[in-house]
Amino acid sequence: MRVALFIPCFVDQLTPEVGLDMVRVLRRLGYDVDFPQEQTCCGQPGFNSGYWNDARPLAERFLAVFGSAEIVVCPSGSCTTMVRNFYPQLLADSPLREKAIEVGRKVFEFTEFLTRVAKATDVGACFPHRVTYHDACHALRELHLKQEPRELLRHVRSLELVEMPYSEECCGFGGTFATKFTMISGAMGNTKCGNAESSGAEFITSTDPSCLLHIDGILRKQNSTVRTIYLASILAQTDSSAGMKARDAAGAAAKTVSGTPP
Amino acid sequence: MPQTENASREKILARIRTALREPAPRHERSEARAIFAPVTDLLDRFQKECTINITECVMIPDSRSAGTAVRDLLAAIPPGEIFVQDSPDLRQLAAAWQDGREIQWSSEGGPKEASQATISGCEVLVAQTGSVLVSAACGGRGASVVAPVHIVVATVAQLVPDISAALARVQERGIVAQSSYLCLITGSSRTADIEKILVMGAHGPRRLIVVLAMS
Amino acid sequence: MSTAAQEFLRRSIEKSADLTHKQIIRRGIDQYNTANDRGRMRFADWEAARQRCHEIKWEALNNLDRYLLEFEQRAKERGAHVFWAENSAEACRYITELATSRGVHKVVKSKSMVAEEIHLTPALEKAGVQVVETDLGEYIVQLRDEPPYHIVTPAMHLTRKDIADLFKEKLGDVDTDDPVELVAVARRALRRDFFSGEMGISGANFLVADSGMIALTTNEGNGRLCTSLPRIHVALAGIEKVIPKLQDLALLWPVLATAGTGQPITCYSTLIGGPRKPNEVDGPEEFHIVLLDNGRSELLADVEQRDVLHCIRCGACLNACPVFRTVGGHSYGTTYPGPIGSVLTPHLRGLNEFQHLSYASSLCGACTDSCPVKIDLHHHLLENRRNAVNGAERPWSERIGFKIWQWTMQSASRFRILGGLARAALRVAHRLGLDGTPLDPMGPWSKNHAAPRVPKKSFRALWGKNNAAN
Repeated sequence: MRVALFIPCFVDQLTPEVGLDMVRVLRRLGYDVDFPQEQTCCGQPGFNSGYWNDARPLAERFLAVFGSAEIVVCPSGSCTTMVRNFYPQLLADSPLREKAIEVGRKVFEFTEFLTRVAKATDVGACFPHRVTYHDACHALRELHLKQEPRELLRHVRSLELVEMPYSEECCGFGGTFATKFTMISGAMGNTKCGNAESSGAEFITSTDPSCLLHIDGILRKQNSTVRTIYLASILAQTDSSAGMKARDAAGAAAKTVSGTPP
Repeated sequence: MPQTENASREKILARIRTALREPAPRHERSEARAIFAPVTDLLDRFQKECTINITECVMIPDSRSAGTAVRDLLAAIPPGEIFVQDSPDLRQLAAAWQDGREIQWSSEGGPKEASQATISGCEVLVAQTGSVLVSAACGGRGASVVAPVHIVVATVAQLVPDISAALARVQERGIVAQSSYLCLITGSSRTADIEKILVMGAHGPRRLIVVLAMS
Repeated sequence: MSTAAQEFLRRSIEKSADLTHKQIIRRGIDQYNTANDRGRMRFADWEAARQRCHEIKWEALNNLDRYLLEFEQRAKERGAHVFWAENSAEACRYITELATSRGVHKVVKSKSMVAEEIHLTPALEKAGVQVVETDLGEYIVQLRDEPPYHIVTPAMHLTRKDIADLFKEKLGDVDTDDPVELVAVARRALRRDFFSGEMGISGANFLVADSGMIALTTNEGNGRLCTSLPRIHVALAGIEKVIPKLQDLALLWPVLATAGTGQPITCYSTLIGGPRKPNEVDGPEEFHIVLLDNGRSELLADVEQRDVLHCIRCGACLNACPVFRTVGGHSYGTTYPGPIGSVLTPHLRGLNEFQHLSYASSLCGACTDSCPVKIDLHHHLLENRRNAVNGAERPWSERIGFKIWQWTMQSASRFRILGGLARAALRVAHRLGLDGTPLDPMGPWSKNHAAPRVPKKSFRALWGKNNAAN
């Protein structure tokens, strides 16, 4: 099966390791991956701010780019939600409405793809650390992912999964909300970081790198001992002795190309 | 005098009718599912719920023993006037509990501010929630709310499984049509307005007691 | 930015930093969640209950004229006066004129959010009528001269010590902060008022069409005293409160109680139809029902958002909302705070003035999950935002910004080039130490966040080198 990669615009520009690690895992499971070069943005920032007329052409463009893909996998619950749950409403009066529904059926968030399509809960990963999981809002409430990401983490060798209090509470990012209502967003983020710390975890992970960007910025500003790591980056680890060293190598430099097949 | 003509009535109705030319979308149900588990053992459920909602449930073998039961309850209530629903059953009962206390009957008006307790019957008992349904015919509106103690004299024949059955019964029997007031009472008055801590006995009775006869 | 928006911003910034407030609210919400979780377990199928409640309300609102007329007819048959008020002013005028023409000096009031909405108390006081709030939470905030903090628990933001100090100051002779004692103080203080008020004013949780009765739920008993002792009773309700049948209450009562406080059912679920009948012991001689429109019929016409009128005012969405928890009920500056308030207020009071509330959300969706009548709350926030962009004032910089964004994203090479430039600019700004200064390109983000790690190469650049052949 050929998997088309839907790499969110901010992942492409700010956290490429998220995409690279997802590719590593997909290849390890035997999938051929394509990256349609014409992709840009699904339109969510404009849509969420009420600029539906400005977002609509980008949605139509997305459908053209991914329309003929067999399956599309995306390392973000919120971007997947945009395509599957909101494109039909955004394109309600467009001739592309049916196409949107059709494409929505074949776009999957990464953990959703692994557990519900590939039916793989054990991807041969090893990560010897205590990890807590943040339930990102779109993944939880729009895609109904609760146990699936946790199942993947439970099958990672040497990983200790701990629950933090109020794991389902929003981290406060909310896209433009973080810039328009900085103090509210910051307070919500502080609560989330405090909860993560109280769990005793070394790492906090999630399906959504946007949440993790926000949480990471706060944790580092507060010199916290907790660090963020995207879920696929955990699943990409296979060498038990490498552990964090491998993650730092991939994240800090992002110079090396890591696309070699297993 | 407040305005007797109401020009806004027609304007509001007109706006509503225009608005409703198009029906709104609705969530579809997947399949008909039972919302509540059926209530089977009525008396058992009623008693369990009374414990939960803090209603005192005093069981007696038959209605004739109600007089004694009420007398025992009154012994623990401070001296002072009590208010009683004026019904043949309760008139008979009063003769049995004679404790020298002043009684105000409902036929003389509503309960006074100083009443120590009120005694009334009820229309229905609801097992699902351990509730007592009264109407204005059960001694009036104030009977079940003014005094610090409210005693309800009832029999198990008045028990119905759930709220749905209770409402159906009072509709069928014409009680809804005949009364200006009904109240489904579940436990004694309470509030959690201070730090969300439950405190019993706000403005209504502090104690709700059901004297329940098996026959 | 509207005045309301500026006020909201100011208050929310202040409250977001208030750690005492955060602790108090967290405790209150935790208690609610425990009770609510327990309450929902009493249902064999809570989701089925939500769906059925949604259907009951859908039926009522999509046939609103028919059910309102049925309610009015049956209520009148019972001897009630029914008055339809277009707006706040009309409703206040009717009630105030009624009070003054009947020689009413004191009104005892049971909790009513609609009365808050129309600012009834100031209108009555201006006409020389004393208004006594009898719901404990409302009584407390009335003594403090502030609006209710929460639509179900008005004094949620106060500790027992705050309340004890308040009672000591306003009522005298109080030297305890034990909640049981404080409630007893309030009971004694209000007793006299119940027995001397000439008019009782209440809201109505539901208007039952097939019986012509209003349904009123309270735990304290104050609602019953207000509607039993005074000689006149006025019930005030929004037109959307109507439900088709008495039987509908068999589900709505437990659902409202569960969502509102976690109880299986509220202590007193009362049905009132008309003044006292000739053969009844007691009760008011006059019963007036005021049906309020005040923007509701316009919202009804918005097919997309008509379900906002399904709201049963349980307060569950307030408790679920992380923004409400952070900024508190007073920051909103509206009668209805929280998610329902953010959705509803633009419709009742103007989109331009109140659009900011729809933007003050991360769209997490916890509200929608919590709503017992399945209102699509967070989706309506999105729709309000769209309506604001299409029909109200938005900052010009924002409009231009999204035009530039769209233009950029219409081309992969434009995105690639501009993305690279942006990253370069961020790296340069960071190296020049501009973080946290007015020249910081990250702007407000740097207040709470460390500088982002900016990669030299994008994903597509890293992919391009070795994967073109794949």
